[in-house]
Parts: sequence; structure tokens; C-alpha cells
Amino acid sequence: MKSIKDHIMFILPLLAMLIGIEFVLIFNRITTSYENKLKQDYAILVVSKRKLTTPYLRSIDSKIDSVTPMDKKKIASEVISGVQKDNIESIIKDLPQFYRVHLTDYVPLKKLREIKKELESIKGVLNVEIFDKSYESRYALFALVKNTLRIFVSIMFVVSLLLIIKQMEVWQLAHKKRMQIMEIFGAPLMLRSGVLFKMAFIDAIISTILTFIIFAYIQAESSSIETIKFLKNESSILLNFSDIFVWIVTSLVIVIISVIYVAFKTSGISDDF
Amino acid sequence: MASVIRAENLTLAYENGKREIIKNATFNINQGEFVFITGPSGSGKSTLLKSMYGQLKPHRGNLIVGGYDMNKITNSQLLQLRRNLGIVFQDYKLINEWTVEKNVVLPLIITGYSLDVQKVQAEKLLAHVKLSEHANKYPLELSGGEQQRVGVARALSKNPFLILADEPTGNLDEFSSGVVWDLLENACEQLNTTVLVVTHKIPTIFNINYRHFIIENGGVHEVH
Repeated sequence: MKSIKDHIMFILPLLAMLIGIEFVLIFNRITTSYENKLKQDYAILVVSKRKLTTPYLRSIDSKIDSVTPMDKKKIASEVISGVQKDNIESIIKDLPQFYRVHLTDYVPLKKLREIKKELESIKGVLNVEIFDKSYESRYALFALVKNTLRIFVSIMFVVSLLLIIKQMEVWQLAHKKRMQIMEIFGAPLMLRSGVLFKMAFIDAIISTILTFIIFAYIQAESSSIETIKFLKNESSILLNFSDIFVWIVTSLVIVIISVIYVAFKTSGISDDF
Repeated sequence: MASVIRAENLTLAYENGKREIIKNATFNINQGEFVFITGPSGSGKSTLLKSMYGQLKPHRGNLIVGGYDMNKITNSQLLQLRRNLGIVFQDYKLINEWTVEKNVVLPLIITGYSLDVQKVQAEKLLAHVKLSEHANKYPLELSGGEQQRVGVARALSKNPFLILADEPTGNLDEFSSGVVWDLLENACEQLNTTVLVVTHKIPTIFNINYRHFIIENGGVHEVH
């Protein structure tokens, strides 16, 4: 019974850590997908007398992804109704060129303003419109959600780590006598800690399996929940199989650090032995 | 005869040298000798023994055990030395979660002997200490005398060149004490193992020659 309790006390915080990590991974995938959508929908409008090309603008700022010229006739059609056909050609000819400039990332507003200045400084550029008000409100919401999750997961991680260290201290007391007897008969550190490693590895595997079950269940359920149905369109956004590798590596690293911590703390034979 | 333990002006102390327990002790113990160290409680008998298996470093002077200078011994050398010692404790220090059989072969497990060798050696040793029928029991299922016999069997399991015993019969009745003394006598006589026993009282019936040191006021003196 005590042994089961010892395992549970180690598995639970480890599970909390893995769930926290998985939330970060999922959220990163969701935000990347959302960011891409925002990025695709957003473009800076540039009015220029000179011809602008993608390589040229990229050389000015690496955050510029591409530049697409807009159809002059379409723009002119808004204002030329009623104008004689002969004059239309000459109006279009005299109009400057309109461009849509796409960015590589959904950059912060400060950076967007920097890019605006860079574009304005190009000779022949007449106007640059960055639509900063709508951009800012979207970006603020995006950053708020991202930062809130980061804070939440960080707190969860620290609390879990403290619980694991606490459990390690319990293990240390439970195994101190055995480890000291082995040390007195000349056992090296790794051999003395063998049982701890075995217990901790088993717990790491159990935690990984439980995390998989939880997220596999969430993924199965998500398709029936209306509000998150959009996730269905993103392939394996909830449960990505590469995440399992991340969980295993994380839990093993935590296990190894924890056991080495206990082993070193128990190392040396106490005076009361 | 080859020297197994050599102490020269050995001083042992606690609290960074503030509390000296053994002062300027000089003695030599050779291969195959049986040695008793006696003295009143708190005189430093166990402290002297601890210095021999490296739990306490000399504060001053020299101590050579099995060729290792205990002042300069490295961690890996210390583990090597301990693997070749047999140590018997008054409170047995058995691993209660392990069976008797596994406890007996602990030194073989540490050295990396195969399971077959461990099995054969465990059977032999348990027969020697007359505990064959208890092989699969756990230490807490045995009496104190039986547990100490397991402790002696563990000390003998690798044919050590030196057995250090700290009050090995301190918690035992007369009969069990007699069994433990016989086992230690046999190890010395038949295997030429050096046996150093720290005790408050030398047994009245003892069948082999022995040397006797007494600790008084921090000094270690041989009684002739």
C-alpha cells in the first residue's frame, strides 16, 4: 500500500508536468496556425511610383515575405465611372502602382511601424498604410492568450517540481539505510541507486502512458464538441505523435536528475550509521 | 608476515579536530592475526574501526589498511578497499527488504559476480552458518542471533583479507555469541583472514591465539 502511494506521489506531479508541456505544444500549434491565417489575411498597402520587387523589399527588411502588385484597372474602376473611354487609358497610365506587402510573421506593432518607416524611406514610395488599429487589437488578444498560458504552465511546472523533490526526499529517507549499507561494502553510486532508477523509470513510463490516454481521449471527444470542431481541419493539432517523444525525453530527464539528486544527498555514511 | 593494518602516531578526531578521540596511536597488525580491541564505552573503539573502513579520515599521523594510505585514498580506491573487507556490525545492518540469501551475497552482487556464482556461494555460506532453511526468509523474520550469523556470512562471502567486527555479540545471548565467535575463529584459522574485533569484553572461552589492545584515555596499548 505504502509502495503504491510512493509511486502515485511521484506519478501525479510528473503527469501534471507532462500535461502542462502538452498544453504548450498544442497551443503553439494552434497559435502558429492562427498566426499563419492572420498573416495571410494581412497585408501592408504601398503606393509607389517606382516598381517594387520582392527581392528588393526583402533586402530592406527580412520580415517582408512577398510583394504583389494590385490591378490598376480595378482600383481605377471605382473612380472613373462616367469618364470618357479615351481618357481612362491616360488616367490609368498616370496612376501610381499599388502593392500588397505580405510579412513572414505576425510581428508586434512596434516592428510593423519600423517596417512602415523603412518602406516610406524608399524613393518613389508615395504612401504606406499598415492598418495599425485593427492589427493592434488582434495582436494584443493573441499575445494575452499566449502569455497567460505560459504563466499558468510555468506555475504548474514549478509546483510539480517541488512535489517531485518532496517525494524524492521521502524516497531518500526510505532508501538511506540500504544505500549506506551498500556503500559500506563498496557499491558504486549507480549500483546503490539502481532501485531508485528502476522505480523512477517505471513511474516515468506510467506517466507518459497516462498522458497519452488523456490526450487521445480529448482528441476523440473534440470532434463532437461544436466549439472546437475547427481543430478537426488541422491534422493532428491535438495529439501529435512527435509529442510522445517529447514526453518521454522530459520525464526521463526529470527522473534522472531526481534520482541523481537523491543519490548524491544520500552519498556518504552518516555518523549515526 | 605481511602487514594488514599499520598505524603511526594516528590521531582521530571529530568536529574538525576539536574533539580528539584516539591520540598518537602506533600499532601494526599482520595477516592472519586475531585481534581484540577493548575499552570502556565512549573510549573510541568504534571510531578506530570506522577509520579502518574509511568512514573517518585520520586527523594526524598515518593509517595504512591493505596497502592503502587512508590519508590519500581516493573515492574509487576506498570502494575497492571496502569490496575486499568483511564488516560485521553490532546491529547487523542487513537490508530488510532483501532475503537472507541476497543479503549474504551482497559483496558478490557489488563486485558483479554471476547469479550462478552467487547462488552457489549463498548455499555454501548459509550451510556454514547453519541457516540453510532460512535462505528465502527476510531478516526481520529471524532472531537476533540468526541475523548476526547472516551478517557474519555476508562478511565471509568474498573471502576478505580483513574482517572488522564492531561488538559482534553485543546484542546476542550466550549461545548465539558462541556461534559467532566460532565462525570468526574459523575464518582466521582456516582462511588466514585477519580478524579485528572491537568489544567491551573478551569471551571467556576462546580457542585460538589472539592479540589484545586496550584503549585508554585516547591511547591504544597492547596487553601482553
